[in-house]
Amino acid sequence: MDIVIWTLLIATALLILSPIVFMFTASLMPARDIVKMPYRWIPEELYLDNYAQAIKGNDGSYIYPRNILNSFIVAGIVSVTTVLLSALTGYGLAKFPFKGRNLVFLLIMATMMIPFEAIMIPLYLVATSLNIQNTYIGLILPFLTNAFGIFLMRQYLITFPDEILDAARIDGSGELSIFWRIILPNSAPAVATLAILTFRSQWDNLLWPLLISQSEEMKTIPLYIVKFAMEKHTNEGAMMAAASIASIPILILFITLSKYFVSGASLYSSRKG
Amino acid sequence: MKRILKKGIEHKKARWGWFFVLPSLAFFAVFSFYPIVNALYTSLFRKRLLSLRPPTFIGLENYEYLLKSPDFWNSIKATLIFTIGTFIPILVFSLLLASFIMSRKRFQKFFQMAFYSPAVLSSVVAAAIWLLILDPRGLANTGANFLLGTKGIDYKWLASANMVRFSTILVYFWKYIGYFTIIYITGLASIPQSLHEAAMIDGANGWKDFWHITIPLLKPTTVLVSIMSMLQCLKTFSTQYLFTQSGAPLEPINVITLNIYNTAIRDHNIGRASAMSIILFIIMLFFTWLQFKASRSGGEVDYM
Repeated sequence: MDIVIWTLLIATALLILSPIVFMFTASLMPARDIVKMPYRWIPEELYLDNYAQAIKGNDGSYIYPRNILNSFIVAGIVSVTTVLLSALTGYGLAKFPFKGRNLVFLLIMATMMIPFEAIMIPLYLVATSLNIQNTYIGLILPFLTNAFGIFLMRQYLITFPDEILDAARIDGSGELSIFWRIILPNSAPAVATLAILTFRSQWDNLLWPLLISQSEEMKTIPLYIVKFAMEKHTNEGAMMAAASIASIPILILFITLSKYFVSGASLYSSRKG
Repeated sequence: MKRILKKGIEHKKARWGWFFVLPSLAFFAVFSFYPIVNALYTSLFRKRLLSLRPPTFIGLENYEYLLKSPDFWNSIKATLIFTIGTFIPILVFSLLLASFIMSRKRFQKFFQMAFYSPAVLSSVVAAAIWLLILDPRGLANTGANFLLGTKGIDYKWLASANMVRFSTILVYFWKYIGYFTIIYITGLASIPQSLHEAAMIDGANGWKDFWHITIPLLKPTTVLVSIMSMLQCLKTFSTQYLFTQSGAPLEPINVITLNIYNTAIRDHNIGRASAMSIILFIIMLFFTWLQFKASRSGGEVDYM
C-alpha cells in the first residue's frame, strides 16, 4: 500500500511538472526537434536562437523587453497600492469603532461578488471617457485595492494588542505614524502574502490590458504572448522561449517565497465570517 | 470629567476610522458599484461602441433577444460543460492527492510545491504550452497512442468539438489541481488527530476512517472547494481565447466571457454585451448565495 501511494504521488508530480519542463526544454531546441517523437527531454545542445527571436520579435522591433517592463511596472505598483490601501482600510475596520462600520465592511465584502468579467465593459467605457487607454494609469486604476486584501488585513489586525497602540498614543504618536511605524511593520506576513498574490494575479492579467492597451508600447507580457503565438513566423521554439521568459520571474518568486503562495491559497479555507 | 474625556476619544477614533476606510470606499464606489449599475442600465439600451448616435431605450429587448438566441444558449452550454467537467474531477482528485500527501511523513512540502507550480504560471503561458503539446505532431498524440496502444492516430485535440472541450478542461485541471489540493491539506490538517486515533481504537481501518471520519468532517472544505472552483470556471477566458485565436473551433468553447468580449469588442454591441454581463453576474451571485447557505448548514464542523 505504501509503495502504491509513493508511486502514485511521484507519477502525478512528474505528470504535473512535465509541461513546465517541456516549456523550458523546447525553448532550447530548434523547432524541428520539438516535434520529433519520441521527445528528447534533455536538449542535445543549448540552442539560444529561440530566445533571441522571442526578444527581437518577428518584426525586429524589440518590443518584448518593453512589454516585460510594463508588466513589472503595473504588477509592482498595483501590489504596493493594494497593500497600502488594504492595510489602511483593514486597520480602520479592525481597530476603530464608528457608526456604520459593519455596513461599510459588508459593502466592501459585497464587491467580492461582482466578477471583473461582468463589469469590464462599463469600466472600459469609463476608461475611454477619461481618455486613459494606453496609459499606465489606465492599466492600474481598476485594481488599486480589493476586498480580499482588506478582509485579509482586517482579520490579521483584529487580534493586534490595543495596549501597544494606546501606549504609542500616550507617547504622543499621531494616528498616521502609528499606522506607518507600528501596524505596517508588524503585519509583515500578511503584507507579504497579499503583495505576492497581487503581483501574481497582475502578472497573469490578460482581459483588461486586452481591452485598453492598443499600442504595442503599452502591452503587457500576456498580450505579447498572444500576439506572438498568432504570428505566422513564430516557430515552436521561439514561442516557448517567450513563455519561459514570462515564467522565470514568477517561478523564482515562487521557489524563494513558496511559503506565502501556499499560505495565500490556504487562507481561503480558514476564512471566518 | 472622565466621561467627557472618554467621549472625546471615542469621537476622535470614529473620525480616524472613517478617514482610514474612505479611500477604499470611494474606490469601490467608482470601480465596482458604479460599473455594475451602469451595466444594468446599459443593458436596457441599444448602444453601439464608437457610435455617435445616442443610445435608444429598448427595455428588456436585449434580454429577450439573448434568451431566444441559439448562440447565447450555446455559450451557456459551453460554460456549463466546462464548469461541471472541470470542477468534479478537481474535487475528487484534489481530495485524493491531499490525503495521499498527508499520509506521508516526508516530502510533504515537495509534493505540495510540485502540484502547485502550474498555478503560478500565467494562464496565457499555460495555454501556449498546451497548444504545442496538443498539436497533431505533439506530445499528446504520442502519449495517447502509447497509452491506448494505438498507432499514429491523430486525436484532433484542438479540432473536433468534443476534444477541444476536453482540452480546455485538461488545461484548467492541470493548472488548478495543486491549488485546491493545498486547500484540502489545510482542511485535513484542521481535523484533530485524536478523532482518527479514537476511530482506530474502535477498530476502524484506514478506509473506514477516511469514509466515516475524514469525509464528513471535511464538508466545509468540500463546499468551499466546489464553490470556489465553480466560480473560477464560470469566469474562464484566457485558455478559450488563445485556443480560438490559434484556429480551434469557436462554437464548442465559446464560453460566456468570450462571448461578452466578442460581442462588445468585435461586434461593437455594448447593450447586448451588458445584458450578458448581468446574466453572468446573476449566475455567479446565485453560486455565492449557495456558498453562504451551504457554509451555514455546516453546524459544528463549520470552520469556514
